[in-house]
Amino acid sequence: MMLFLQTTLNGLVLGGLYSLAAVGFSLIFGVMGIVNLTHGVFVVAGAYGALLLFRHLGIDPFIAIIPIGIVLFAIGYAYQRTIIHWAISRASLVASLVVTFGVAMILRNLMQLAFGPDVQTITPSYSFTSIALGPLQIDLVRLVALGASLILLLVLALVLARTQFGRAVRATAQQPLAAELSGLSVQRLHGLTFGLSAALAGASGAIIGIVQPFSAASEVAWTLNAFIVVVLGGIGSPAGALVGGLLLGLINAYTAQYVGPSLTTAMMFLVLVLMLLVRPQGLLGNSFGESR
Amino acid sequence: MKKPLAILIGIVVLAVLALLPLWLGPFYTRVVQFFFFSAALALSWNILGGFAGYWSFGHTAFIGIGAFSAALFGMNVGTFGTGPVSMIVPLLVAGLVCGLFAAVIAYPTLRLRGIYFAIVMLGVSQVVSELVNNISWFQGGVGVFLTSPVPSGVAPEDFYYYMFGGLLLLAFLITLLIKHTRFGYALLAIREDEDTAMMLGVATERYKILAFVLSAVLVGLLGAVYGYSVGYFTTYTVFRLDFSLNMIVFCLIGGIGTLFGPIIGTAVMLFITQVLLSRFLDIHLLITGLIVVAIILLMPGGILGALSRSRRSSLARKAEVQP
Repeated sequence: MMLFLQTTLNGLVLGGLYSLAAVGFSLIFGVMGIVNLTHGVFVVAGAYGALLLFRHLGIDPFIAIIPIGIVLFAIGYAYQRTIIHWAISRASLVASLVVTFGVAMILRNLMQLAFGPDVQTITPSYSFTSIALGPLQIDLVRLVALGASLILLLVLALVLARTQFGRAVRATAQQPLAAELSGLSVQRLHGLTFGLSAALAGASGAIIGIVQPFSAASEVAWTLNAFIVVVLGGIGSPAGALVGGLLLGLINAYTAQYVGPSLTTAMMFLVLVLMLLVRPQGLLGNSFGESR
Repeated sequence: MKKPLAILIGIVVLAVLALLPLWLGPFYTRVVQFFFFSAALALSWNILGGFAGYWSFGHTAFIGIGAFSAALFGMNVGTFGTGPVSMIVPLLVAGLVCGLFAAVIAYPTLRLRGIYFAIVMLGVSQVVSELVNNISWFQGGVGVFLTSPVPSGVAPEDFYYYMFGGLLLLAFLITLLIKHTRFGYALLAIREDEDTAMMLGVATERYKILAFVLSAVLVGLLGAVYGYSVGYFTTYTVFRLDFSLNMIVFCLIGGIGTLFGPIIGTAVMLFITQVLLSRFLDIHLLITGLIVVAIILLMPGGILGALSRSRRSSLARKAEVQP
């Protein structure tokens, strides 16, 4: 019983990270209909950014979220306004899939050249402290990581629901033409959404860097995780990402504990396939889906 | 092009390719052999991805299933015949297993479209490879082996040159046949607008499954011969993400859904990566990525698409000049 609870706790902590890492992917998918295969690169870039800031300037990864977020926001904005926009206007929405895939290959190779192929971890002084919740053990760093993920998700949800910017983003997602007719600059909003998504991915990367080892090659896994989270939870909303992420974390933890640690990927994809066949819109549905 | 001329050119090309190993050294024979293998894979992927528009991101599953069925059959049941004859039964088994597997997963997976189908196929290949690696009966972790079918006195690279050449020819002829029959037109109709095609009475479900099975069987045969050519292999020798991706990239560069596009794309990409950049292994990914992005932005129809567009526009210009 204790083992089950401990596994559940581990799964939920892992799930919180999955949620944060996937929410940007989900936003872009929901608002623009683009499957951004560069997403995992942004996550890993965030982790490398945090590593550099920690090693050379001694900045704590949780504080490094802010500069990393700003830089990746700018990169994401520029990326959408140039390459993604060109690909969609010249070819098709499917072409954006291939283009983001090509860019992911380029960036992964560049990261490999810059940082080497070795697996890296960020180890701040507190990374081995753990606290006891009754008989359950949890690493302090994981708990803080979960907290930070939940706070960022909550902030995003509030921004989307309550602010002028959030309303504009939701409007462009539901009816791009009508939004344009009402005086919104759809192009600019798409760029900003992409920037926001990249910033969130970078922030999640900074947190992931402390909790899990990473390398340039792990970007593929993070992109796929994001996709699975979106399929499980539903497209376009922070709540969907949270549900999908927690579910994925639990699946991962239970499989590793009770079936075999080498079968987690297989189990994740098995659930993905079953989910797509049974309820392709995800548990919470597509938050912008009705009008498409 | 007129038909007799096309046949004549075909025969000349075949004769040149058949005699080529006499002049090429062992290294270049291997390069061309790898080109045959890759081009045949791209053509097989193209049947489903190019004609029907169902992009599979996990076709390497069938390379692995083909290679492992051939090897496990040989190890558990025994070999029939010696030399090249011993390949016949394992190859049939490999094709059969791949075909059956594809037929079983085709019905549920082909209900999904676009990106969802692509990712689910990626998932299928991941699941199959992990199962092969972790279930001890498959011996994916320790590796399996296939007895060499190369007859004595023949260099292995020459033998596999002709094997892969034959399979490329088979894939080419099947593609040619599909393209000019009702089946091919049905697949194109599915790609362009599946709902309309269904409404107009095209049996979309049946044609899609047939295309999937055909594509899987061809890839499975290629996988089995690839297994023979390496002799001993583990899970990660044959279930390789880059195999899946190369099939797509080669088709994309040459021209998706065309007869010669996958072959041209493979030739161009292999020339760039294996010949021009053979000494810069660490930037292969970068170059491939750059080419993919450039192709999409500059010529979305691939090389063949760009050629036919420029020919059309020059014809149009000529037509304007005439009074």
